[in-house]
Amino acid sequence: MVIVRRVKPLPYWIIPIIALLAGIAISVIILYVLMGASPAAVLSAIVYGFTRPGVVAKTFVALTIVGIALLVSFKGSIWNIGGEGQITFGLMAATWVALFTALPYINPGLAQASMILLAMVAGGIWALLAALPRAYLGLDEVPVTLIMNYIAYYIVDILVRGPWLGKHVYNYIRTDTIPSQVMFPQVPGTTMTWDGLFLLIILLVGVWYLLKNTSIGLRIKILGNNPNLLRSSGISVPLMVIVALTISGFIAGSVGALYLGGDVYRISYPVEVHTANYGYTGILVAWLSMLELIAVPIAAYIVSALYTAGIQYQILVGGHLGQLITAGSAIVDVFIGSILLMYTILITISEYKIKIIVKKR
Amino acid sequence: MPGSIASFIIGVSSIFLAYYLAAVGHGLMEKSGVLNLAIDGVFTLGVAVAFAISVYTFSVPLATFIAMIVAAMFGLMLAFITTKLPISHGAAGLSTMFLGYGLAALVGLPARQLQINGRSLATIQPSLGGTWVWFYVVAFAVAVGIWYLVEKTKIGAAIRAAGENPASAEALGVNVLAVRLFASGVGYALIGIGAAVFELAYTQVWSQGAGMGYGWIAFAISLSAGRHPILIIISAMIFAVLDKYRFLIAAIYNLPPDVGKMLPFVAAIAAMIIFMVTPLRRKLAPPKSLGKIYFREERSV
Repeated sequence: MVIVRRVKPLPYWIIPIIALLAGIAISVIILYVLMGASPAAVLSAIVYGFTRPGVVAKTFVALTIVGIALLVSFKGSIWNIGGEGQITFGLMAATWVALFTALPYINPGLAQASMILLAMVAGGIWALLAALPRAYLGLDEVPVTLIMNYIAYYIVDILVRGPWLGKHVYNYIRTDTIPSQVMFPQVPGTTMTWDGLFLLIILLVGVWYLLKNTSIGLRIKILGNNPNLLRSSGISVPLMVIVALTISGFIAGSVGALYLGGDVYRISYPVEVHTANYGYTGILVAWLSMLELIAVPIAAYIVSALYTAGIQYQILVGGHLGQLITAGSAIVDVFIGSILLMYTILITISEYKIKIIVKKR
Repeated sequence: MPGSIASFIIGVSSIFLAYYLAAVGHGLMEKSGVLNLAIDGVFTLGVAVAFAISVYTFSVPLATFIAMIVAAMFGLMLAFITTKLPISHGAAGLSTMFLGYGLAALVGLPARQLQINGRSLATIQPSLGGTWVWFYVVAFAVAVGIWYLVEKTKIGAAIRAAGENPASAEALGVNVLAVRLFASGVGYALIGIGAAVFELAYTQVWSQGAGMGYGWIAFAISLSAGRHPILIIISAMIFAVLDKYRFLIAAIYNLPPDVGKMLPFVAAIAAMIIFMVTPLRRKLAPPKSLGKIYFREERSV
C-alpha cells in the first residue's frame, strides 16, 4: 500500500458524503450481526428519519445549536467534548428560573428569555472551569471536559434528589413540572418551538458575524492554525483558549433551556439516564460540517435524521429485546461511532491517493 | 472503616486490579506515541463482553479471555490507522469511543435479557479461597513485567523511541508500525482484562452504560502517575479505595449518595491538576511525540 499526496485536494463536501454512506453501511452490518436486525427495517427507519422534517425539527434545532457551539471551539483547535455538561448546567439554570422564581407568573416572555440567557451563562461558566487548567497548565481539555460531564450530571442529581424534589411527583424522583407559562410554544406541525427557532437564527447570524467580522473571531481561527503567530503578535494564547471554550459553552448551555422548556418540562432522576446526549451527538455534526458554518445545519439535519431513525427503529421493532427498550440510544451511538470513524479515516483521501501495488518478482 | 484491615485489603482488591490493569495498559500504549482517547469506549465494551460471555458460557476464564481479545483488536486497529495514515489520533480515538459505547449496549442487552429470564452470571469472589491474594500478585507481577519490558529490554527501547521521535527511530531501523501495534495490542489486552475484572469481580451486575466513565478514571490514574508502571500502583490504590468507600465517605459526612458518585470524577481532575503543577510533570514527562501525526510516506516529500 502506497500513499501519495494529491496534486489537487478533492472538493471538501465529497468526504462527508462518502463517510456517511460507508458509516451507515457498517452500522447496518453491525446491527445485523449483533442484534439480527434486518437491514431492510434499519434502512426503512433511516428513510423515515430523512422524510419527516416535522418530527426531526426538535432534534435538528438542538443539534444545530450544539454544532455551532462546538464549531467555535473546534475552529481554535480546542476540542470541547463537554457539551453534555454545559447543556446539563444550562438545564439546571433554566429549571431554577422556571420553578423557583416568580418570573413565570409576572412576565412569561421575560421568563422564557431569562431561562435561555441564564442557561447560557451557566454553560459558559462550566466551560470556563475546564478552560482554566487547559490555558494555564496545558492540561488536555478532552479528558477534562469529558470528566466534567459526569460531575455536572451528579450535581444536578444531588439537587433533584435533595432541595429540588417536587411536591407533586407520585413517588417519582423528579422536580415538579414547570408552569405552563414557560412551556415554549410549538411551531404548528413540528416538534420544535418558536423560542428554539429564533434562538437558532440569532446564533447562526451572531456566530457568522463573530467569525467573519470581529477580531475575537479572527484570533480564534489563528489559535487553531498557528498559535505561535498569536504569541508573537503579543496576544495572550491562554486568554484566547479561555475565550473560545467559554463562548462554546455559552452557546451550548442554551440547549439545556430548550430541552427543558420545549421537550421534557421537568428534570427526572438520574439525569444521566434521561439526557438526550445532544452534547456528544453534536460532535458528529461539527465534524461532518468540516467546520464550515453554512454546512452545520445540513450536517445537523443528516445527523438528526439518523438520531430519529435510531429511536424510530426501536419503536418499529418494539418487543425485539423484550422489556429492554433502551437500545435506541445504543443504535444512535453505533451510527455516530462508525460514521465518525469512517470520516476520520477517509479524510486522508481528500489530500492523498492510496494505491495498492502488488509487488512483482 | 468497617471491620479489620484484612477486610479492607480484600474489599479493594478487585477494583484495584481492574484500575491497575486498565491504567498500565493505557500507559504502555501511550509510551509508544499513540494518543489513546478510546479507552472509555473500549473499557465499556470490555465490561459488556465479559458480562455477555459469562452469562452465555458460565465461564469466568473464557469471559476474561474474549474481553481481552476484543479489546486487543481495537488496540491494533487504532495503532494501525493512526500510524499508517495521516489522521488525528484524537478524532480516531473519540470515534472509536462512541462505537464502543454503542457496541457495548448491543452486546450486553440480549445477555441481560437472558439473565432476567433466569440465567445466572458466573462471577469471581475476591474473598473466596484467597483469590484476592492472586489479584495483588497479578498486579505486582504485571507491574514488574511491564517495567522490565519498557525500561530494560530492546523492545522497550524501541517503544520509547517510537514515542519520543518516530522519524529518528525509523531511521535507526525501528519498525515504528510494528512497535506501536505491539504496544497497543498488549496495552489494550490489559485494558480488556481490567474491564473483565471490573465486571466479574467488582460490580457483578450489568445494565446499559455499565463501566462508562471508569475508562476515563483509568486515564487519569495513568496520567497522574506519569504512565510509570510502578507508580501507577499507588494512584490506582488511591482511586480503588475512593471507589470502594465513596458511599461510606458520603454517609459519614451526612452527604447525599450522589456526592459519592461524583467523588472519583472530582478526584480524577484533581489528580491530573496536581500532576501538572508539581515537579512530577517534568520528572515523568509524557512522550514527546504523543498524539503527533507521524506519517512515514511524508519523509521524502
